[in-house]
Amino acid sequence: MMSFSFLPNAVLVLCVGALVQMLGVAIGRNVARDAVIGLLVLVASLVAVSMPTVLYMAGSVALFAPDVWASYSAVLIILSAIAIHIMSWRNAVVSDATVGSEYYLLLTLATLGGVSMTGAVHDVSFFLGLETLSLPLLGLIAFRNGRIDAGEAAMKYIVLSGVASAMLLFGFALTYLETGSLRFIAPNTGDMPEPLLATMGTVLVLSGMFFKLSAVPFHLWLADVLEGTSIPVAALVAVLSKIALFAAMVRYFASVNLYMSGPATNEVIAVAILSMVGGNLLALVQTDLRRMLAGSSIAHIGYLLVAFLSPGPLSFASSAFYLAAYSVSTLGIFALMAGIMPQGTDIRDWHGMFRRRPMAAAAMSIMLLSLAGIPPAVGFFAKFYIAAAGMAGGRLGLLLILVMSSVIGLYYYLRVIRIMLMPAPVERPEREVTSPWFGNGALIAVLACVTLLFGVFPGTLVDLGRNLIVMPSPPPGSSGQP
Amino acid sequence: MMFALPALVALPFFGGLAAWLSDLRGPARTPWLVSLVTLALQALLLVDLSATTFGPGWRAHFAAPWVSMLGIDIRFDMDGVSLVLLWLNLLIAIPTVLLCTRHVRDRPGLYQFLLLATIAGVNGVFLSTDMFLFFCFWELMLLPLFGVLLIWGHADRARVTLKFFLFTQGSGLLMLLSILALAVINAHDTGVLTFNYFVLAQVAGHSFLAPTIMLGFLIAFAVKMPMLPFHVWQPDTYAESPTAASVLLAGILSKTGAYGMIRFVAQMFPSATAQIAPLMIALGVIGILYCAWLAVAQDDVKRVIAYSSISHLGYIVLGVFSGTRVGTEGAVIQMVAHGLSTGALFIIAGFVEERTGTRDMRRLGGLWPAMPQFSAFAMFFTAASLGLPGIGNFVGEFMTLLGAWQISHVATFLAAFGAVLSSVYALTMMKRIFYGPAVIEGSQPLGAPSTPHLAVLGVATVLLLVLGFYPQPVLDLSTPGSLHPQSLSLAEEPAR
Repeated sequence: MMSFSFLPNAVLVLCVGALVQMLGVAIGRNVARDAVIGLLVLVASLVAVSMPTVLYMAGSVALFAPDVWASYSAVLIILSAIAIHIMSWRNAVVSDATVGSEYYLLLTLATLGGVSMTGAVHDVSFFLGLETLSLPLLGLIAFRNGRIDAGEAAMKYIVLSGVASAMLLFGFALTYLETGSLRFIAPNTGDMPEPLLATMGTVLVLSGMFFKLSAVPFHLWLADVLEGTSIPVAALVAVLSKIALFAAMVRYFASVNLYMSGPATNEVIAVAILSMVGGNLLALVQTDLRRMLAGSSIAHIGYLLVAFLSPGPLSFASSAFYLAAYSVSTLGIFALMAGIMPQGTDIRDWHGMFRRRPMAAAAMSIMLLSLAGIPPAVGFFAKFYIAAAGMAGGRLGLLLILVMSSVIGLYYYLRVIRIMLMPAPVERPEREVTSPWFGNGALIAVLACVTLLFGVFPGTLVDLGRNLIVMPSPPPGSSGQP
Repeated sequence: MMFALPALVALPFFGGLAAWLSDLRGPARTPWLVSLVTLALQALLLVDLSATTFGPGWRAHFAAPWVSMLGIDIRFDMDGVSLVLLWLNLLIAIPTVLLCTRHVRDRPGLYQFLLLATIAGVNGVFLSTDMFLFFCFWELMLLPLFGVLLIWGHADRARVTLKFFLFTQGSGLLMLLSILALAVINAHDTGVLTFNYFVLAQVAGHSFLAPTIMLGFLIAFAVKMPMLPFHVWQPDTYAESPTAASVLLAGILSKTGAYGMIRFVAQMFPSATAQIAPLMIALGVIGILYCAWLAVAQDDVKRVIAYSSISHLGYIVLGVFSGTRVGTEGAVIQMVAHGLSTGALFIIAGFVEERTGTRDMRRLGGLWPAMPQFSAFAMFFTAASLGLPGIGNFVGEFMTLLGAWQISHVATFLAAFGAVLSSVYALTMMKRIFYGPAVIEGSQPLGAPSTPHLAVLGVATVLLLVLGFYPQPVLDLSTPGSLHPQSLSLAEEPAR
């Protein structure tokens, strides 16, 4: 089915869905019904992504580019949102009947923001998407309103997110000043009257994005936010918003030759190195599983940047593969935490898990192995793919740092597996484990199977990524004025 | 016959899986029986393979596409060296499975699965000729051992296991970079992305980056083996492992490093190997002497064997990097002999520990009257390890020294001196454990060894003697298959 609109299908479906959910809340509260509606909206948007869109151009400025890259990242985002939706159900916080309905509404809105960012080719559409993602996220982070640390996390998030948005806007303004264009693409600084201003614009936009991606040295909020909020929301911050931002960043830099050493390229290189090393070191010393995952997620952004910095046939394909692998494994760990031990995120609470819950411990080990990049999990192939892209791009120095920091990473991932294998020390009381509800159990099983299957047979996902070898397209009429 | 090679990898894995599943219900002995049947089937497969394939060079081949987008295939080739090491792997695997009933009462099915999965991974390493697949197996074979060490290891296992894993995996990642560099250079030159060993070997021969790329491989193998500057993980790991894991680690996993040096360093990068040979021979000699010296000073039985193991592996380095045919053949013989004798010594050490409750030689002594059969076997394997003529180890050491003689007289002289030191620590160990007055309280016999124990040690004895007196069959096999394009009739057929 073809459709003509000036919004991509998925964005349209999510907008309408959010309206329906609001209407539902206005008519009467029923958490179960609202949860089902939320799920249906997400599934419908997933269907909508797969339909080809012909965008109706309002005026001469394109707002969205419905290309393969956008669809791929949108599918990833929506699938993650569905996973988060499933693991939220029966979560103690969300089940609160007085506020539960809004939770699903906010989840839909955040997804809407993420999906619009993936296709945005205009500063305005990108910024609207970003804020549509960030503001619901604030509400979700503060959702445990009885808890003091939720408030702390939300405050940290809103202040730093505001700073990041301000930097982005300033960057856009400088770019506009220099080029007179609001196209969401890094300006070519070579032929500008004031190259310095254009460069500053790019660097500011980049820094704003790194803030939101929580790459080192803009990472300080992530661990606190993940620790303060509930587990499904932590998954949202760690997975969904990162996919959206990374997808947008790739599009923003489609115009820049990343081989050429320049201010922007240098910043990305520095941030990649710092993120790989810093993220892993941060995770190394943590005793809380969520804080450890925060460090690990920072490190994985660093690995992704290595692929991003190695333009070539493998670059986009490998980042696409890596995003999928990272999302599956990280979501799996969060789903397990939400299902097995929602209150116990201290690593020591997981002592002896292989005896108490062998299947859950096995699934957890698979996810951790995947993040650590050990066969047969999909993370191994993903890391291999990234390394191949880096090698093809001649980024040997970055790859050596990737290897070194991966070894640090191995240590803390394996430490968790070791703790799950070893019996608990006697003096420490065992924390009670709960059974995940059926849907979450199924989700964990599916994610674990996907991690293993794509690890052993990565061919399908690689073929899927082949389409992405073509760079994300600049908007039509790319040479023109706004 | 086409599927014999992948079957060698799949069979132990699925057999182990069956053993694990059979443990969920049914009597406690079923998993043990299932794994024995699996190994028996593997033995039949190997007999069949040995009987139906002939000649020097590549004897069997299998290829199927895997990730065709990136030029990754499932690709197995077997030459004589692989065949010898596959047999060694099987011979080492049998006792680890056969003798485990006593120590492992806790979750025996899982234990069998992990052991057999390791064996499957090692088989994969010896057979893969797709570099990506090789790397997969290289990393994969460690994972089950990680579990074995953590669940069934000794007191200090937590720290030691992580150390072991970090060392081996970290060095493996360096090898990954080297593999990728080769693939990328090849793709750059020919426009085809492939991980085929034979194709990449051609690139490796020509590229001016060869010395750098080779280092990645070399470090990975040197850590796994281990060689001198990279050995710090090894004594701890061997000492804290359960017996079966020690036997596997010393018997076969160290040989994957040596195998890699022959196949992926010496064969792939002949000129770069020749350049670095003096350094490697020097390190090999220092390793032989230094670790023998360290072995003299140890009180822990397993640590003595661990250090002696590094020392003896030095001869393999000497043989491989001598660049001579006799040296390489000697290295293969040394691998087999060392695998058998060290494995047997670890079994004996494990038995002593199990019966007396200690590995500390200061608290042992005079065990000969209490366990006469075992003491006799211990004497034999000690003699093997110190290189008594007539036993396989002597042939291996002599041939590697013969190879090294053509490169450096001084190095050979010093390396030969290692044999003196090895007599010192080996005989000291014998004396402290088995001779002298009995130290353990009460003179009750420590229990006769079970028939499987005696059978396993007996078979190892016979094999070492055969290897010592008539090594020709192994020598015939131990020339690696050539990489020359015209000799690749088996290996060259396209995968897709």
